[in-house]
Formats: sequence, C-alpha cells, structure tokens
Amino acid sequence: MPVITRTQLLAIILAAPALQAQWLNYPTAGVPRLPNGQPNLSAPAPRTPDGKPDLSGLWEPATPAASSTFLSGDPPGDRQFSGIGVNVPGGLPLQPWAAELVETRRAGEFKDAPDTYCLPLGLVQMHVHPYPRKLVQVPGLLVILFERDTTYRQIFTDGRPLPVDPQPGFNGYSTGKWEGDTLVVKSIGFKDGMWLDTKGSPLTSAAKVTERFRRPSFGKLEIEITIDDPKAYTKPWSIQVHQALALDTDLIEFVCLENEKDLAHLVGK
Amino acid sequence: MKTALFLLPVSLFAQWLDFHTPGIPRTADGKPNLSAPAPKTPDGKPDLTGVWRPEANPYFYDVIQELKDEAIFRPAAEALFLKRVAEFRRDDPQTHCLPRGPSDILFGGQLYRIMQSPAVIGLLYEGGGNYRQIYMDGRKLPRDPNPTWRGYSIGHWEGDTLVVQSAGFNDRTWLDRVGHPHSEELRVTERFRRVDFGHIQFQVTFDDPQTLTRPLTISLKVNYAADTDMLENECNENNTDTGHLSGQETARAKLSPAVLARYAGVYEFRGAAGAGGAGTFFPRTQTVSLVNGQLFMNALPLIPQSETTFETETARIEFVTDARGAVTHLVLTAAGGDNRYDRKR
Repeated sequence: MPVITRTQLLAIILAAPALQAQWLNYPTAGVPRLPNGQPNLSAPAPRTPDGKPDLSGLWEPATPAASSTFLSGDPPGDRQFSGIGVNVPGGLPLQPWAAELVETRRAGEFKDAPDTYCLPLGLVQMHVHPYPRKLVQVPGLLVILFERDTTYRQIFTDGRPLPVDPQPGFNGYSTGKWEGDTLVVKSIGFKDGMWLDTKGSPLTSAAKVTERFRRPSFGKLEIEITIDDPKAYTKPWSIQVHQALALDTDLIEFVCLENEKDLAHLVGK
Repeated sequence: MKTALFLLPVSLFAQWLDFHTPGIPRTADGKPNLSAPAPKTPDGKPDLTGVWRPEANPYFYDVIQELKDEAIFRPAAEALFLKRVAEFRRDDPQTHCLPRGPSDILFGGQLYRIMQSPAVIGLLYEGGGNYRQIYMDGRKLPRDPNPTWRGYSIGHWEGDTLVVQSAGFNDRTWLDRVGHPHSEELRVTERFRRVDFGHIQFQVTFDDPQTLTRPLTISLKVNYAADTDMLENECNENNTDTGHLSGQETARAKLSPAVLARYAGVYEFRGAAGAGGAGTFFPRTQTVSLVNGQLFMNALPLIPQSETTFETETARIEFVTDARGAVTHLVLTAAGGDNRYDRKR
C-alpha cells in the first residue's frame, strides 16, 4: 500500500465534509435541457453580450471523487493536486537545487505545506483543488471565488498591462485577453517558496504562468497551464486541467483556521 | 488589542499601485470625475461596479458612540461585552485571522470591490481576501441556514437603492472591535445608493432581538477608489502575535474611585481638522466619565494599567497632570503616533 503522508491524510480528512456537505439545494438557472428534462451539458457554451464565451459557473474537478479512493493515497478529484507533474512526460524538469528542495520537503513529511498553515495555495494548485470554485465573468474582470478558505482571485480583462515590478503575492497579478474563444491569462509577481502541489513542487518569483481557458461545451471547462519558471525548472512545461459544471448546488463557507488544532501535533522535521 | 494596531497600516497606506482605472469618466485635466452621473447596467439598474473605500469612521471599532446608547444592549449582552473588555479582547476573531463577519463592510480605509452581474453581486474585500455573494435571482433567505461567519445574503432593488438582507450568522463574530456581541438571530439590512459616479450612500441596520432592545442603524459615505486597486493582504502570513496575548484580568491595575474621578471631563483634540492622526479613527471630542466604578472615554471602557495610563481598543491613553496635580490633557497613542487632547471641562 502506498504511504499516505500526513498532508495527504489531512487533505482527505478536510476534503470529506466539503464534498459531502453540498446540501444547498437551489436549482441553477439558465441550464439548457434535453427533451426529457435532463440538463444538456453538451450544449454549446453560453456567450456574454459581447459575443465571448461566458466562463461563469460553478466548477469542480472533472475526475469524479469516487474514482480515487482513500487507499490510493490521492485526495479525491484531480490527481494533479498531489502531483502537479503527474502527466508531464518525463516528469517535472526540476533544476538540481529544486530537486533537492522537493526531497527536503518530502523528508520533512511535507509539514511546511502552505495548506497546513491555512495559507493561500496559489493559482496553479487552486485549479486542481478538490473543492468547487465559481467563475464570475463581468466586463473587464473575471473573478474566481474559491470555496477553499472563501478567497478570491482577480483576472483583469480591461486591457491593462501586467505591472512592471509587482508586489510579490500568493496569487500574483493576472491579466487576460481573448484569442478567439480562448481566454489567455498571463500572471507574474509570485512569492518565492510556494508549492504547486502537496508534494512540494516549487514555484519561484521568476515564474510566468500562462493559462488558456476554454469552455468547449456547456458542461466543460478546460484550462491549459504553462509554467515558465527558469529559476526552478530547466524548461517551460504545461499541464491540462479538466473541470465539470456543478449544477443545483453552490459554494458553502469554509474557514480553514476555524478550530485549527493540528499544527501543534505535526512531527515532520 | 494590540494586534489590530499593527494590522491597520498595511491596508490603509499601502495603496501604491500606480494605475489608471480604465473606462471611468474623467475631467478635462484627466482626473476622475467623481461627480459624473452614476452608471446604469443594460437593464436600467444602477451599476455599483468598482473599487470602493468606506469613509473613515468610528463604528468599525465601536458601534456605540455615546455612552447612553450602550443601554440598547440587553443585560446578558452587556455582561459579555464587559467580559471581553476585561480580557483585553483577546478572543476577537480578527486577532486570530478569522473572518470579521458583518462589521467587515464598516472598516474605513479597507477597499472592497463590488462586481455586479444580474443574478449575483459579489463583494470582494481586500482584507483577508475574502468575499460575499449577494443573490439577486429572487430567492428567499433560507429558513434554517447553516450558521456561517459571513451569513447568507439576498438583494433586491427599491428604486435606485440596492437592499441586501442577510441572516444565518454564527455568534462568533463581533459587531465591532471593542467587543459588542451578537447572536445567531442577527439580521442585517444593508442599503447601497450610488448618488453619483464617485459616491455611495450606505446604511446598515443590525437587528438582533436576543442581544439588542431595538435595531441599530449606522450610515456611512463610501467613496469610489479610482486609479488604485486592492492588494493581497494575507492575515495569517507570519502571524506571530497570538502566542503573546495574555488577556489576563491581573494585568488590570486597581485604582480607587477617587483617582478615577479625577480624569472625568471633556477633552478636545488639538490638531487641525483633516490633519489625520486620531481624528481619523477617534472623535475629536472625548468625554471621560465614571459609571459604576468603570471609566469610559466616550463609550469605550478604559482599563487601568497604572495610576495614569489606560488601555482601550487600538489605543493607549495617558492622563497628564500639572505641578498642582490637575489633569491638563490626555495623550492617545494609536497607529500613527501620539495625539493630544486638551481638557476643556
């Protein structure tokens, strides 16, 4: 049996209430229906008044939670949450120091994962987080509302350029523009020391992240993420994220720090 | 609580993003035209979209500004309030990086973004990077909502005013930083009216029959924040304060009523209007009174630390005497430095 690390165990335990407790029962408005009344998730993606695809909606990992099991060692949902490079051919092209850092984080039983301290996970890992997120697209702005810790991320689509020397942050600074039906989002301004997954794959302040958002059908969202971080990786690499529309439910509040009693018991070095 | 003192400057003064908000009306010299008409959405409703900053106000710190109004709190609520005061507000959720709940929107100087779509209005707060959803699709408040830190909000239009009703709060958030409580029965009504491009008239009413004898209403101006944006503000990053909070009643000095009575009087802020300093957070006139052995500065209870120094929310107060022992002024030390209030009576 694969070893389940503390962080993974924590993630599984934390994930369980949120995934099973989506009891809000409010029908999603504006869903195309089949003749039999079932939602038609393969209908075309909706569009905003200016003709662009509307990415708005409540999204969750396309991989059903049931397909991963407790014993697999992976938290429910997208396996990239625990290994962002799991689908990258040949694995992540880590610089030697970055490979050492990953090993150090592993040897420390991943005790210093930002999630353990209820800190923000950053935009990459949030795309593969098991909890749902709501995209809200309005003129000039795309906002992602995350259930995880009730936080948000702003993507400016009002034509502003990326700042020259942004204040480093967990989420960086993001601007987007449409290329056909694809929203291309570029982000810079990350803090050093961030984790891309629960295994501690690094991201540094040198990183440029490009996300390409597509909604190929009413029920599907695809995000291609390219990480160009020459400090941590020898070459740029890309991953694919698939999300599915969640109907007739909504985000519920999740406050990570509420009743936090775990930290004192962590034993990792 | 001292933590609040240190958290403040970040969000108040760090808006250094040098950025021109696109698509807003400007005057001939390129400055934002804040008195232009309020914009409308395609369906004819006022469009509240934008980044907003509540005016500097004392209510985020204390919803009660005159001591006589303290009586609207029922006895059990008042007892809980005074317990929190005695514990130096150690358990204020804000101090522990937990959500501020219904008072978040009163925080003068904290930016928030309103994003408006027909079915939902989003409020994105700068502090803590947290958000609220206000459902505009006609749904009702849930009958038995899961108690949460931020409640459950629905909105509708009354003419040009957005009226937001919220319920389903837990009872762990505080109505203000001095420690006034509320119960899970709390209902909040917020009214947003955008009077012109640059200004929203905001009103909030807290109705909580379990805690309050009557609803409590606060009105504020909220100003459009042009050519800037919210910065990331992660409360829990490098939080090393909470281990040092004592909250022990033993930290209180015991002073005789005769000593306390010497400080009762009216004090006036020495400093120009708009000069910043204490005038930003604290009233320019402070009435110090002694009620049942407890000293208050306006409605703020003062906790003795020595014969002349007192602690209160976000500030330390020192009473200064002349050679004859008469109290001449008080010095209020808060974020930004020392502020002198001269004794008038």
